[in-house]
Amino acid sequence: MGAPLFVLLCLLSGGPSAGVELRGTALAGGKPVADAVIWIDLPGAPRAPQGKVVLDQRNLSFYPRVLAVQVGTKVDFPNHDRVFHNVFSFRDGKRFDLGLYPVGAVKTIPFDQTGLSRVFCNIHPGMAAYIMVVDTPAFVVSDRSGKFVLTDVPAGTFTYHAWRPGGEILNGSIWVYAGAVLDVQWR
Amino acid sequence: MKVAALAGAAIAVAAGVASAQSITAEADLTAGVSTENVRAGSTQARLFGATASDWRFLSEISLAATSGHPSDAFNAAYPYTGRFHAMELFVEKTFHPSAYVVGFRAGRYRTPFGIYSRGEYGYSGFVRPPLIRYGRDFALSNTSLEAGVNLLAGLPQLFAETSIGVPSDEGELHRRPGLDVTARVQGYYRTLIVGVSHGHSGRDRALGDFAQGDARFTGFDGRWMWSGLQLRGEWIFGRPFDGVTTRGGYIDFAIHRRALGPVTPVVRAERLDYDAGPFSLFEHRFTGGARVQLLQWLTGNLNVIHQPHGLAANRVNVVDAGLTVSLRR
Repeated sequence: MGAPLFVLLCLLSGGPSAGVELRGTALAGGKPVADAVIWIDLPGAPRAPQGKVVLDQRNLSFYPRVLAVQVGTKVDFPNHDRVFHNVFSFRDGKRFDLGLYPVGAVKTIPFDQTGLSRVFCNIHPGMAAYIMVVDTPAFVVSDRSGKFVLTDVPAGTFTYHAWRPGGEILNGSIWVYAGAVLDVQWR
Repeated sequence: MKVAALAGAAIAVAAGVASAQSITAEADLTAGVSTENVRAGSTQARLFGATASDWRFLSEISLAATSGHPSDAFNAAYPYTGRFHAMELFVEKTFHPSAYVVGFRAGRYRTPFGIYSRGEYGYSGFVRPPLIRYGRDFALSNTSLEAGVNLLAGLPQLFAETSIGVPSDEGELHRRPGLDVTARVQGYYRTLIVGVSHGHSGRDRALGDFAQGDARFTGFDGRWMWSGLQLRGEWIFGRPFDGVTTRGGYIDFAIHRRALGPVTPVVRAERLDYDAGPFSLFEHRFTGGARVQLLQWLTGNLNVIHQPHGLAANRVNVVDAGLTVSLRR
């Protein structure tokens, strides 16, 4: 790589060490997909500080419906409904059963292994949520219009992954530089 | 007063819907059959949501009917009369100041006595309501509703709930007009949840002039859950009117474990003593069964029931089966 090309790459990526924004859209069948999780492998990256992470139970639903966390994160499960809830996850990922607990009570679960946990309430079958646990600080959940922004991603070439409820995990490679765009698409 | 309360709640719900941040619509469609010569079909539709400032609202209508032998099969939480019934219709708000919880609910809601929420009747896989919650037995009724205000205050670990209103019942038991007061205290520690309830309301309107006085009941309830094992029960005592007593309860046990896949086995033992001289009823019932999650939107219930004596009009051994389709949007 010649010096001019290196300088060009540095200019495009915002410098050899600064992080850049990586924007993109999640699509399925050409339509935007909300609640898709996109993450990028950053081997050796320091753990991102993460504040209190909450999967709320309110109005007989989980909020958010899809939650993404870095491995090792503790997730609070408060009950903000006036009925009991019984949150559990048996199928895969982190397996737990929080038992019955009433309004105002909070239970906490550490998510210490990567993978997808499907979370349900065994009193209210209409309640369902997903927690995707990833081993990287670079992850994001797409908004209602399928758009997402990953911030502070180092420049370079990395492997990305994407998952959406009801879809398989997509894998690929992305060259990250300032202005790079990542569109993930399920058929 | 009843009409005014319902109208107020309806207006509040309409206002809530109009400015709602989130709205969910649900429908349950159930078909069932019992060897007690009962066939049943039911539909419940619910609309609930929250405004941006987290005012919650819920409205529910039910249409259900049975044919065949008179029985309490499939009466777990709704009236089976063949007519539309407006069930719950309320707005509520809950605050969490510091470690406390304070809330109120206004409109039409299920009587907050014991284990009373709709979801808990349906959760455990039983097709029939407990004998103490089947209105025809002059005890509590799962289709009792209040039109009024329900206040809740305390800590999550220990709080009190009080309902003040007037009867607004659906189904077979209709209480006389008048002031209803129900109070409940609930506490939990680790995996144990216990509650004490007391209710005071008018007696059943269908009772003749021989019945005087109000209905008063006190009850204890408990739930214990550990590693997918759930024990749950209620015990009530009181009087539906002067000179007679009702006491009874149930205990049920459910297993919800990964190894069992979609099957949740359940068993229940229960009794009801209605002591009214020559009209007394002393009933026992034992139920074993399962709730099976066949698909995400399809649930089956199968119950085998042994009712050794006291339920003379019914068969001693009965099998109930039901299928429920649940839709949510």
